[in-house]
Amino acid sequence: MMQTIAQINNVTHRYKGAAENSLDGVSLTIKKGETLLLCGASGSGKTSVIRLLNGLIPHYYHGDMTGDVTVNGLDIVETQLYELAGVVGTVFQNPRSQFFSVDTDGEIVFGPENIGLAPKEINARKEIITKQMNLDSLLGRSLFELSGGEKQRIACASEAALLPEIILLDEPSSNLDMEAIKMLHEIICDWKRQGKTIIISEHRLWYLNDIADRVVYMDNGRIAHEWNAKDFTMLSDDETRQLGLHPTSINERYLALLSDKDDTGKCYIDIADGILLKDFYFSYHHKPYILRKNKFSAADGDSLSLCIPKLMLPKGKVTAVIGSNGTGKSTFLRCICGLEKDCTGVIVSKGKEYRKRQRIGFSYMVMQDVNHQLFTDSVEKELLLSMKVKDVKRCHEILDTLGLLEFKDTHPMALSGGQKQRVAIASAIAAGAKLLLFDEPTSGLDFAHMEKVGELLRQLADSGSTVLVSTHDPEFIEQCCDYTLRIKKGRLFSFEERNS
Amino acid sequence: MSLKLDPRTKLYMIFVVSAVVMMSATTPFLWAVRIIMIPIFLLIMEKHYAAAFRFLIFYGTALLLTFKFLSENSEGFLSAFLVGYCGIIVQFMPAMITAWYVVRTTKIGEFVCAMQKMHIPDGITISLAVVMRFFPTIKEEYTAIRDAMKMRGIMLGGGNAAGMIEYRLIPLLFSCVNIGDELSAAAVTRGLGGKVKRTSVQELKMKAADYLLMLLFTAVLVVFVVSKYIR
Repeated sequence: MMQTIAQINNVTHRYKGAAENSLDGVSLTIKKGETLLLCGASGSGKTSVIRLLNGLIPHYYHGDMTGDVTVNGLDIVETQLYELAGVVGTVFQNPRSQFFSVDTDGEIVFGPENIGLAPKEINARKEIITKQMNLDSLLGRSLFELSGGEKQRIACASEAALLPEIILLDEPSSNLDMEAIKMLHEIICDWKRQGKTIIISEHRLWYLNDIADRVVYMDNGRIAHEWNAKDFTMLSDDETRQLGLHPTSINERYLALLSDKDDTGKCYIDIADGILLKDFYFSYHHKPYILRKNKFSAADGDSLSLCIPKLMLPKGKVTAVIGSNGTGKSTFLRCICGLEKDCTGVIVSKGKEYRKRQRIGFSYMVMQDVNHQLFTDSVEKELLLSMKVKDVKRCHEILDTLGLLEFKDTHPMALSGGQKQRVAIASAIAAGAKLLLFDEPTSGLDFAHMEKVGELLRQLADSGSTVLVSTHDPEFIEQCCDYTLRIKKGRLFSFEERNS
Repeated sequence: MSLKLDPRTKLYMIFVVSAVVMMSATTPFLWAVRIIMIPIFLLIMEKHYAAAFRFLIFYGTALLLTFKFLSENSEGFLSAFLVGYCGIIVQFMPAMITAWYVVRTTKIGEFVCAMQKMHIPDGITISLAVVMRFFPTIKEEYTAIRDAMKMRGIMLGGGNAAGMIEYRLIPLLFSCVNIGDELSAAAVTRGLGGKVKRTSVQELKMKAADYLLMLLFTAVLVVFVVSKYIR
């Protein structure tokens, strides 16, 4: 019989100022050394359970709470947060906002310094962790220049340095590509071998198949279901879909879609009525110049971070842009919509050429963090801001098609993540953009929301817009994309119609 | 060769330079002192050549303009403009360069350790450390927001003068508040703010160069005070 390490006993919790309970009579017993997977839709209470276990509820996020929580023999309500530091470690969803230092070394030792270990001991721990997790190449670097996957590894290392018994991970794969997810998988496996108790809240389920011992499904702040690992992986795609979950496994076909292939496929499809992209060359390193900047061209060869001489995008279709992180997907999108001024590319549509700043009017990018794109204090004003000729009637039409009309007077920041995304799309349509670009719109979304985004993109394409979307989610590509465009090191690698 | 100065020396430098720029210099001798203490040579030591060069040109130009072309008899709009502009640069640039140098070359760990050695309360130390940590974040967020504005074509405020500031600041504040909130949640789960005395792996030791610089800066301070207030 395994020992119990954490116990949540009939906890009901409501965040301060919230209308509904975030947790509603949750009871959960966690055994020492087990790996527990929490799944369920966004807002179902997964994160709240994580926060209960690390003490952020009730000590940091205040609210009304009843019931009690015991972790490693400590009563959470009576225990101060800093006393839990060496007991429970948390890897948060967004590495960007969990780093305290600006350099990797400082980040790893931050926790041990806080709990007052002797410098000698801290350095010894750092060395062990570095060896265990293969971090040599990351030491001594600025956290701001690391890729998403590297950031997540440092985040894991900085937790491990505190040697916690229990490790919590809150949607750790949200911003990661295939390779980085595999790396994360390795890290979790290592922890499991060391006998740590691991609790993971996650939307992407396939990479946890061989890790999780037990799966808890949450719905509306309650624990609605519980499976052991074997039963859970047996769930069919239809069953998981009904629960609003991502599939528990992804087919070989999917994996082939996303893993790095080396063979080049067909790169150019000739379509009579398409959007032609010409001469897209760009590099983040300027060429030395005295008075006039030298333009990038194909002759710059290997130094280019983007090199796409010619590409025909099919009009009215959804094209998925795939490739691992840091391989130039975002650069590609930024160049198309004219955000990178030094890129000289030309967009040709219906015989008309769009150069430089004209590209901004023709295309529009919905960013990964839509918060950056909302400027006004009501949804209606947000759209009117985009219109050259302020047309309230047209504005309402657009809002209606996107199901936002009832929110027209709401402050955009008060909306949910999905609604914000729709407002950003609405203002793109209002601006009259024909080519809509999406930079990883599905990262961190649950299955139901992902499907909604997919439907929306289809709807946009069917009404005549051309959509280009970068993504790491194979299910999403399956659902809504007509073409896949693979980019590797800024070069076109293959461009294929998906035969459905 | 890279010169690693102790953060305490750097803080002392900021203190002296700020004090000196607030006492306006009146004689050529004092100007000379002020120019010598510009920490440009420190930037060169730390291999920030480009920055050192830029600061040098900028400051040199302003200095040249002030002394060669501007006098009490200067007339006209351009001169008036230049007097104000160069005046400010000549007066305050040394402090700016020093601050830039300190922020660029000090790791947060070193800084926190130095503050602890000076027995500054943890509350103050941590807040200052967070501020330092936040600069690059603000820059990242600001760039993203500027891109979004470019795409909307509202760089100039979209026909609304206040918009120019409003559209930049409001999203920036929102995202900084959010990041700050998540950041402190993450920090407290890792034991920040505990009752235990925080330790530090940084080993700080004042070296010869530190003492030398401190001496130099003290001398500068003394020269200024003596020649301005006592003589």
